[in-house]
Amino acid sequence: MQFIIEHLEKSFENKQVLQDIDFIFEEGHIYGLLGRNGAGKTTLFNCINRDMKTDHGNFYLAENGVRREVLPEDIGYVLSTPTVPEFLTAREFLKFFMDINEKSIKHPASLDEYFDRMHIATEDRDKLLKDYSHGMKNKMQMLINLIAEPNILLLDEPLTSLDVVVAEEIKQLLRSFKDGRIIIVSTHILDLAVDLCDQIVLLSHGVLETVDKANLDNHAFKTKILTALREEDHV
Amino acid sequence: MFKTLRISFALKNAYRVNAILFALKQIPLLKKALPQSLYQAKGLKIFANILATLWELITIFLWKALYFITMVCGIGLLYQKLPTDQSFLHILFWLTITGAFLNTYIFNPSRDKYYAMILLRMNARSYTLSNYVYTLLKLIIGFLPFTILFGRLQNVSLWLLLLMPFSIAGAKLIVTAIVLTDYNRSGNIYNENKLQKYIWFAAALLLLIAYGLPAMGIALPLAVSIPLWIALIPAGLFALRYIYTFDAYRQLQQELLSQMAQQMDGVKHAAKKNSEKAISTNRAFVSKRKGFDYLNELFIKRHQKILWQASLKITLVCCCLLCGALLAMSFSAEIKESINLLILNWLPYFVFIMYAINRGTGFTQALFMNCDHSLLTYSFYKQPSNILKLFRIRLGEIMKINMAPAIVIGAGLSLLLFVSGGTTNPLNYVVLFVSILCMSLFFSVHYLTIYYLLQPYNAGTEIKSGTYRLVLSITYLLCFFMMQVKMPLLLFGCVCIVFCILYSITACILVYHFAPKTFRLRT
Repeated sequence: MQFIIEHLEKSFENKQVLQDIDFIFEEGHIYGLLGRNGAGKTTLFNCINRDMKTDHGNFYLAENGVRREVLPEDIGYVLSTPTVPEFLTAREFLKFFMDINEKSIKHPASLDEYFDRMHIATEDRDKLLKDYSHGMKNKMQMLINLIAEPNILLLDEPLTSLDVVVAEEIKQLLRSFKDGRIIIVSTHILDLAVDLCDQIVLLSHGVLETVDKANLDNHAFKTKILTALREEDHV
Repeated sequence: MFKTLRISFALKNAYRVNAILFALKQIPLLKKALPQSLYQAKGLKIFANILATLWELITIFLWKALYFITMVCGIGLLYQKLPTDQSFLHILFWLTITGAFLNTYIFNPSRDKYYAMILLRMNARSYTLSNYVYTLLKLIIGFLPFTILFGRLQNVSLWLLLLMPFSIAGAKLIVTAIVLTDYNRSGNIYNENKLQKYIWFAAALLLLIAYGLPAMGIALPLAVSIPLWIALIPAGLFALRYIYTFDAYRQLQQELLSQMAQQMDGVKHAAKKNSEKAISTNRAFVSKRKGFDYLNELFIKRHQKILWQASLKITLVCCCLLCGALLAMSFSAEIKESINLLILNWLPYFVFIMYAINRGTGFTQALFMNCDHSLLTYSFYKQPSNILKLFRIRLGEIMKINMAPAIVIGAGLSLLLFVSGGTTNPLNYVVLFVSILCMSLFFSVHYLTIYYLLQPYNAGTEIKSGTYRLVLSITYLLCFFMMQVKMPLLLFGCVCIVFCILYSITACILVYHFAPKTFRLRT
């Protein structure tokens, strides 16, 4: 499966944020999307998630050479600020989600099994989500998105406000989840990008370009990315 | 000091001008025509500057004029027992003392002060004093024409009227000096927007003296009030010296304005917090249903306080009013007649009442804050079929919630009509009942429809749609306007029923066509 973006453009009044996004994402990879502040990472995500109209261009999913439209259920979008329905308990939210997606969930498990997988403690499962901590809400949001098994998973600044243990758990989960899927992680944290992602993609001047790791070690690779990002100022 | 005043003026103006331009940017259609570079446009800035300056000039006199017309002379007209000059001087004196506490300028933490002294770190003493002197000058110039005009009408001597604005400024200076002394001694911060209970009590007492005593034929005799008025001037000058030498303005403003900063942050989260508070934590609220019905049932049960309970309270109040009206009619034939006339001719009035009691805005706000705000970020929730399924369920729910008081009002009005002498055309009873139900239906559909079609909130729970605000205002204005309409029951009722049904059908069609596209988070 490939996720193909063709000539995507988006501008706000006179400012062209996405100039000509032309890129092919391959399944089984985690992509780290890097860019300076205001480079348009969130705009790109919003366009892909169809929360925002694009000015020009299109995007498709290609399976065995056959192209098709990207449907809402193909996309999972995890925002940096976790959002969960506050008036439900974690169990109720999960039950509601399972009810709605009964037919599309490929490998259904019991609610408690899901909670176990996510390391959500038994005593927390029947608490209202409004009383959950930031990290717990984040886990819950991630859980829902993982069960839905979307073809494309977009993560905006994940892990930034999680404690190290939870952050490590989620990283592991994402790695185990990437088979047969495309995961795109937008982040400002270079270490996270290099550690978690298989490929680094820079968004600069409104276009996407990969940074080739070649035979570089992590340190040299980071220097290369930084240099590429700094160059933006000089163009 | 003059330079500080000039800078603070420019700052206040820039902030006002940008507020005007921002407001222009919120108007639908116009907002598309106006470019982002609007804030750079010189012509518009000059225009907005002129508006801001005019406003500054007008307000120097406007509030003073209104103050005299209503508070001093308007109410003063009621007291015929006393010589007019005596009651004029009495009322104005006590109002001046009250006003000196409630309206101090220095202890009013406002945004422009926060920007100037906290963000831009302007010299606090020089900023406070220069602006304070400017405020006092405005006060003196603003009062002068009106003390003369209204005072002469009450036969007060001209020389006293010429001195009066200075006395009023003197009263303000005295209070400010007292508050500053108190701050120096005890560290207490006086915030005129958050007054202590005892200040409110004192203000009430002063108002009672100002208005209550003349009503009983008592007022300060001229031999007392005139010396008091004059004494305010030297006392004020003495206070001015203290205010000028006071040296802890930075500290004072820092403490005062830090409260302001918290308030500004607070407003942003207040709506969200309020909505969260509306969630009931009662563990007995569960649901045996499935899918969206399950979601909806839990939502309704856990928001009982703002939905069903509120609606039932309104229903109860309506029942009480109905009983009251029935009781009143049993006592007097006149009341019977007037209620009969009222119902037969003033049905449009009930549009406003139905508007006021419907739970539509509360429902949609809670829906967004506590439910859709989060769920709209999940793709399964945004699938067109799911959006429409939930819309249907919610529409049913809000209709039920609004229907309870509507049934009582509709049936109650028909009953009142019957008891008050009835009507020759029995169709009136039916039309009355049905039209009230239709109004309730209309408001249920209306609020949910505009919520689904315009979904005005962004992920940060701020309202981002000018159109949504505009529609809400127009709804209010139209309903308000209906209060002025007098029309026979049968005619208005029939028009109303037809309109409500047509509107509801159209609205549902629009939602089915457009909501799958429009019902998402604003970006």
